Amino acid sequence: MENSGITADILFQLGPLQISNTIVTTWAIIAATGLISWLITRGLQREPGRIQTAAEGVVNGIEEAIHEVAPEHTRQLLPFIGTLWLFLIIANLSGLIPGVHSPTRDLSATSALAILVFLSVHWFGIRTQGLKAYLHHYLRPSPILLPFHIISEITRTIALAVRLFGNIMSLEMTALLILLVAGFLAPIPILMLHIIEALVQAYIFGMLALIYVAGGIQSQQVTQQKQKEKNEE
Amino acid sequence: MELNWSTFFLEIINFLILVWILKHFFYKPVLDVITRRRMEIEKTLNDAKVLHDDAETLQEQYKNRLGVWEQERLTAQAALKEEIEAERTRQMEALQITLKKEREKAQAIEQHQLEVCRQQAEETALAQGAQFAAHLLTAAAGPELERHLSDLFIQELAALSPKQTEALRAAGSKAPDRIQISSAYVLDDTARQLLEQSLSTTLGINGPFHYTQDKALIAGLRINVGAWALRANLQDELKSFVDFAHDG
Repeated sequence: MENSGITADILFQLGPLQISNTIVTTWAIIAATGLISWLITRGLQREPGRIQTAAEGVVNGIEEAIHEVAPEHTRQLLPFIGTLWLFLIIANLSGLIPGVHSPTRDLSATSALAILVFLSVHWFGIRTQGLKAYLHHYLRPSPILLPFHIISEITRTIALAVRLFGNIMSLEMTALLILLVAGFLAPIPILMLHIIEALVQAYIFGMLALIYVAGGIQSQQVTQQKQKEKNEE
Repeated sequence: MELNWSTFFLEIINFLILVWILKHFFYKPVLDVITRRRMEIEKTLNDAKVLHDDAETLQEQYKNRLGVWEQERLTAQAALKEEIEAERTRQMEALQITLKKEREKAQAIEQHQLEVCRQQAEETALAQGAQFAAHLLTAAAGPELERHLSDLFIQELAALSPKQTEALRAAGSKAPDRIQISSAYVLDDTARQLLEQSLSTTLGINGPFHYTQDKALIAGLRINVGAWALRANLQDELKSFVDFAHDG
């Protein structure tokens, strides 16, 4: 925990892999999330209690948000997008726990998530439309735009990673600096800001991922729909 | 701001594991419960809709049935009304007939009573007339009147029809000794000879003749020949008025 400001600390080596505190925190989050999920869902009943109602509310909220963007692929996208939101909320807020750093203040973690979003866009797109039809949308409306499409794919992925990393890292740095400079109660407003920012950043990252994935799925569908409408006319 | 590849790859794996865990232990069970509940709610709603539709159908049927019943009631009411009207007409006709019969019966009874009254009055009048005439003739009667009556008898006897004459002859021949001549006054010999001569000539009766006096005859004769009686006196004439009234 020596270099707790910008980069993650390597806690131990597991073969060729360096295990940083980001990974350990992520494991803790996964374990806690998995355990809580199991505890909640093991006794689901027809008449829900408070916890079940909250769990159903969370799932329903995520489902409705996805349904607004990709109504035909809600159930297909729910595990990935929902997990992104839940993980990012927990990961962003975990920085509020003393001695724990948010995994999302590590560029390696945010890059991994951004890469997953990048890959999932293509994965869902190809699964829905097929490889040829999916790749064909890069040539629309004109093959000349292909380089711009590629650049757009890369830059938005980088933007995803850097945006989340920058915001969370800066929040934690700010909180740390104020805690060092000011007294014990001074960082409280900053911590409040941390909560809001953590929720907003999780929402932004998840919503952008959803839009990218839905765009990959529906890009060819829009073209096909237009073509169909033209044929009907 | 260094990129640690171990962290990068492990984070990808961690996230995918988290996706799998949440998918199997959170999303799926919760979504299953929600889906089950939605299905139950939809089933309940469908059942309620079916019940509602059934209720509406039943309501419609009941409305139709009520309409039919109302129609049937009106038809039955009209039929009953017609039946009552027909029955009333029939009863009225029967009553009219009965009344007519009763009226006719009453009229007949009244007529009969009037007739009886009239007859009684007539009889009474005749009886009184006869009684009055009897009193008057009793006072006015005498041997002269009796002689006239005797002469009248002899003329009438001569004017009898052959059939009547024959019947009297037969009666006289069966009982020649039973010829009784009654008179209110004592007949003199001349009157007796004329009478016996007439009876002998007309009826072939030669006697013997028994003469008696009967004041009740007032004036005139009564000759009994067997079962026959020849009357030529005022009492029998007056009595015949009364009998005539009785016979109508």
